[in-house]
Amino acid sequence: MSDTATTPAIPTTRMFFREAIIRALAEEMERDARLILLGQDIGAFGGSYKEFVGLQERFGKDRVRDTPIAEAAMVGLGVGASAMGHRTLVNITYMDFLMLGLDPLINFAAKARFKSGGQIRVPLVVKTTAGAKGQGVAHSQCIESWLMGVPGLKVVAPSTCADAYGLLKSALREEGPVVFVDHKRLFPTSGEVPTQEGTVPIGRSRILRPGRDITLTVHGYCTRIALEAAELLSAKGISAEVVELVSLAPLDIETICGSVSRTGALATLEEGQLVCGVGAEVAFQVNERIGPVPSCRIGPRAAPVSSSPLLEAATLANSGTAVTAIIELLEK
Amino acid sequence: MIYALVVPGPIPDVEQIRILEWHGAIGQKFEPEEMLVELETYKALVEVRAGQPGFLRKIISEAGNWEDVGAPIALFSDTADEALPANTEQIADLPASFEVS
Repeated sequence: MSDTATTPAIPTTRMFFREAIIRALAEEMERDARLILLGQDIGAFGGSYKEFVGLQERFGKDRVRDTPIAEAAMVGLGVGASAMGHRTLVNITYMDFLMLGLDPLINFAAKARFKSGGQIRVPLVVKTTAGAKGQGVAHSQCIESWLMGVPGLKVVAPSTCADAYGLLKSALREEGPVVFVDHKRLFPTSGEVPTQEGTVPIGRSRILRPGRDITLTVHGYCTRIALEAAELLSAKGISAEVVELVSLAPLDIETICGSVSRTGALATLEEGQLVCGVGAEVAFQVNERIGPVPSCRIGPRAAPVSSSPLLEAATLANSGTAVTAIIELLEK
Repeated sequence: MIYALVVPGPIPDVEQIRILEWHGAIGQKFEPEEMLVELETYKALVEVRAGQPGFLRKIISEAGNWEDVGAPIALFSDTADEALPANTEQIADLPASFEVS
């Protein structure tokens, strides 16, 4: 008997993506009095995507703090507060501006445990919103691949409300820094979240759609595009297995390799740039573990994202370009 | 005549809304510009106001429900005691205005 047959259905509640985040934050703030939140307009305004609504009212201005537009200082303050015994979530509204906070994040937070012989821990979560949605060259970027190679740093990227809730709770219980990457286009979505409190473990990928002919790895908002592409491919007689990475660092390479071993081919899809991107890392690790298989990377053109909606769409990959690339790969 | 109030749109990026609160009880008369219902989108509230006089006759979708843009959520009539049809598919949309805040 399969697991699904023996496991009773879990009661769920439907909510907007932002509500899954609010719920995770509220539960963790209730659970841990040391947890504080720092961000631009997260207090009375409730956050750019309304994903902090009600938290300052409920937990007070000491624990939910509005900051100036100064990302280096925000991350620096968060790192320092966490090193001194707090647990801190720093919200960076546009992932592009996390670049300003990379020094304290990478040079201090990710290193502290190593260089202090384990004496200093930095339980810090940087929540940040990536992706293109009409805001141009410096408010659209996905730079999560830059962070995957930093020892001591974990990186997660949900695509569903349930994972946003469960992963954020897990991140807020970590002893070291975690970057939680969401996406502008996820905020209009809604989804079912388990009614009972729970977490989603960091470090596990998920097979979202089983298939026989090719493995398609993906993370974040592009997961929706991958599922569309798999549906379109199915109509053409190609069975694609969609593996959602969920966690980028650590990467669940065992699950990915298990899938590629069965399908014998690999395509990767992402919104971030392909050179030294997530797909490049996935493909090389697969190659190292199970040897070469036909593979391709699907992603945006090597160009900045325009604020013109037409040029934005022309720059990014979509389900159509994914289908074309996969068919070309399998016909080679 | 019987009218159906539908979830108004289009609202940018919004596919589904959640019904927050009905204003008024079954049988109540509404005048133009009176608020009928408040809806929640992923980031805003939508106030839906009557575009013509009428009586609220039936709430199809209760507060807390999720509905697509365009879905019928209540029935209205010109007079208080008109019989409601069993099939709601052919009913005209109630003129209504909406404001996203």
